Amino acid sequence: MAWKRAVYIYFRLVTQHVKAILEYQSDFLIAMAAAMVTQVLGFIFLWVVYQRIPHIQGWEFWEVAFIYAMMFFTTGFGQLFFEGAWRISGLVNSGMLDRVLLRPVSPVLQVLGSAAGMNGLGNILVGGTMLIQSLRHVDIHWTAEKIFVGVILFFSAVVIRVSIFLASNCITFWTHAPGNAFPNMISNLSEFSKYPISIYSFIIQVFFSTLIPYAFISFFPAAYLFEKDNWHHIGLLTPLVAVYSAAAAFWIFRKGLAKYESVGN
Amino acid sequence: MAPSVKKYISLGKMSMQNSIAYRGNFLISITVSVFWAIAMFYLWKAIFDGRGQLSGFTWEEMKAYLLITFITNSLLSWYNETRISWKILDGSVAMDLLKPLDFQKARLAETLGTSVFEGGVSVMMMCIVLFVFAGIMMPPDALSWVLFFVSLMSSLLIKFCVVYIAGLFCFWTSSPFGVAWMRAAVTNLFSGALVPLSFFPGWLKSVALLLPFQGIVHTPASIYLGRIGGMELVHYLGVQLFWVAVLWFVGKRMWHRAVRQVTIHGG
Repeated sequence: MAWKRAVYIYFRLVTQHVKAILEYQSDFLIAMAAAMVTQVLGFIFLWVVYQRIPHIQGWEFWEVAFIYAMMFFTTGFGQLFFEGAWRISGLVNSGMLDRVLLRPVSPVLQVLGSAAGMNGLGNILVGGTMLIQSLRHVDIHWTAEKIFVGVILFFSAVVIRVSIFLASNCITFWTHAPGNAFPNMISNLSEFSKYPISIYSFIIQVFFSTLIPYAFISFFPAAYLFEKDNWHHIGLLTPLVAVYSAAAAFWIFRKGLAKYESVGN
Repeated sequence: MAPSVKKYISLGKMSMQNSIAYRGNFLISITVSVFWAIAMFYLWKAIFDGRGQLSGFTWEEMKAYLLITFITNSLLSWYNETRISWKILDGSVAMDLLKPLDFQKARLAETLGTSVFEGGVSVMMMCIVLFVFAGIMMPPDALSWVLFFVSLMSSLLIKFCVVYIAGLFCFWTSSPFGVAWMRAAVTNLFSGALVPLSFFPGWLKSVALLLPFQGIVHTPASIYLGRIGGMELVHYLGVQLFWVAVLWFVGKRMWHRAVRQVTIHGG
């Protein structure tokens, strides 16, 4: 089956990169440590603030910690397994994308699998730990339905994060700008979704729920799990947003690729 | 003017012209700073939640504090920072070893050059915000403004020294982003950029006050808000200068060590 083979090849690509990286052990450790230190210091910041106040608009420390950790975890996932997206700009501008197109494997997979970011591992480890800790500390009414939906929401969140990541990197197909300024900027916007979006103005909330759906990675799944009034049902839309994001990202990539090929590359 | 100083000044001028020419990078950088400032503004608004004061800060003071954090953040942009690391990584540092320039002073000259442009734009933006949004605190008198700017200069120098030292680590690793991220995370927390140091629990605040980072945000902000005066103010300014001297010296020693290692290995 074609997709089985695709997954196998993808796996081989990424593991090759991980092996190569492990040879440069100190870089691997530094990247991992950097991600972990950044995240831990972020949690210390939250903790310091919560020493002075009991809650932020009804959200307690561990609930906000969950949101915070979701952003880091999903970002880490993208960094570890899909780091290749950052290479798109280089591939397009150097014309190296041609080699990718000549190979009998989906170009999306090749591109995404062309690098592995070890900082992702650090983010996954710390983020994962914080997620588990927060779930333990928050008083959640667990039901079979909630667990089932929770797992789906979790995977949806990861899909959304990676989709935004891929889509933002595709801008070079149109701008031919060197470097990664635009996708970096989009990535920086994820700062907003590290906190409950209920704190922002209406326009900002709409923006992060529709145009760049960062809110569906962290806030809405959390609102569902913690049964926050007003927001909690919107959490159920997350899988739909995931499908929409993935489809949009693929579509953008395809369009960009078509443009690349049409310029006689 | 001594000829050697002239060299550095022209380097600074070139750097400033460069940053104006390649202002795309700067615009992205400042846009990111603005986003961060907006997110922090809403977060702190929600944290204060109508309270009159929190941890000794009124909401008016907090708004001004956020503005100062914005300024200090944009005085030395990310782009500027990675420039030093890349110089080392892509080997062009070999060229610099041949030049009759002190590497550290040259990088400072370049940084100051770009900061004139970047800082200038940020200060302009700050003035606009101060005009448009009434109710943001300002220093009580002209002297405080002057002392604030003096402190801001020291803050820039401290930040440069920290960034420089972090950049030197690229001699021993080829992961500039990793080191830069860590430096940014540590600096952000302990400088007071994320949350005013007065919020810290006692023991953590003591630790923060022992480190150089508080000179980057905490000190200039405290002067601006008129929270320290008299001898205490002089003390804090002195501490800033102390750290500039110490970190500059550390940077110098590290540089010599790195160069020795590189030349021994025939680098």
